[in-house]
Amino acid sequence: MFKDLDPILHSQLRLAIVSLLISVKQAEFTFLKEKTNATAGNLSVQINKLKDAGYVEVNKQFKDNYPQTICKITPAGIKAFDDYVKNLQQYLKP
Amino acid sequence: MSEQESLALITSMIQKAKGSFHDRGTSAILWGSAIGIAGITGFLQAYFKFSIGFDIWLIVLVAIIPQIAITIRERKERSALSHEKQLRNAIWTVYGISLLALMIYSALVPGVTENTFQQKGVEILQKNITTGEIKLYQQFVLSQLSLYLILFGIPTLTTGIGTAFKPMIIGGIVCYILFVISCFTPFMWDSLMAGIAGIINWLIPGIILRNRYQKSKIADV
Repeated sequence: MFKDLDPILHSQLRLAIVSLLISVKQAEFTFLKEKTNATAGNLSVQINKLKDAGYVEVNKQFKDNYPQTICKITPAGIKAFDDYVKNLQQYLKP
Repeated sequence: MSEQESLALITSMIQKAKGSFHDRGTSAILWGSAIGIAGITGFLQAYFKFSIGFDIWLIVLVAIIPQIAITIRERKERSALSHEKQLRNAIWTVYGISLLALMIYSALVPGVTENTFQQKGVEILQKNITTGEIKLYQQFVLSQLSLYLILFGIPTLTTGIGTAFKPMIIGGIVCYILFVISCFTPFMWDSLMAGIAGIINWLIPGIILRNRYQKSKIADV
């Protein structure tokens, strides 16, 4: 029987964010914005949703007097992504 | 979003992330040049019996200054840290610590050895078999550049294998080959081999990385 896809991940921008974060150790907000072509506002909202789900860790700090947001995928996020891809494969099997 | 679209999005983002990291090769060019110049100049001085008036290996210490500037600039410009870069940073940091430890060993051990002998009331003398002149033997680490050749090979070969970058794999292997050769040659030739190691181990891979980086920059425009 097919399992439901995680609704937190089954959204275009959130899936893009998690796919990027799974490929790196950590990334700045600007990196995610550039790669996803999302607006700062939308990106910020989706990152917060991922943070609330415990999939992403967000650290805010200052770099050269400018605020800097660093995002990192959590172990729960890695597991959720792994499960999502496995479930996706079930749907795609001929 | 359909399942196919999800999969396509995941693939595209992973590819985008992977394509964002290009080593500029600046550090490799810097260290390859410094060690190449020091090694070859050291050899030429010994072979043609002339002196440039200072220890040429000091340029390796001077190279630390631009390296600090390069590291600070890279950190400032970096908007994401890849797993590969994190691993490479760890390898090269451990290499830096080991290099420093070996430099300290080379600087301290001869003096400590001499003191130990003095405390035991022992003096080691050397005799010139042609003139018969006998003088106090100055302690030094024998063939120390051979030890450096082993050390040079470790980070390069590890990075080369870990990142499947052939020029560094070749550079690392060359270091070990030069080490074996240096075990059988007079010390003067060790300096030449260290210079060659610097060029093959770092300078050439660094230039290749720089070219790749510039090509990727042109492709991104």
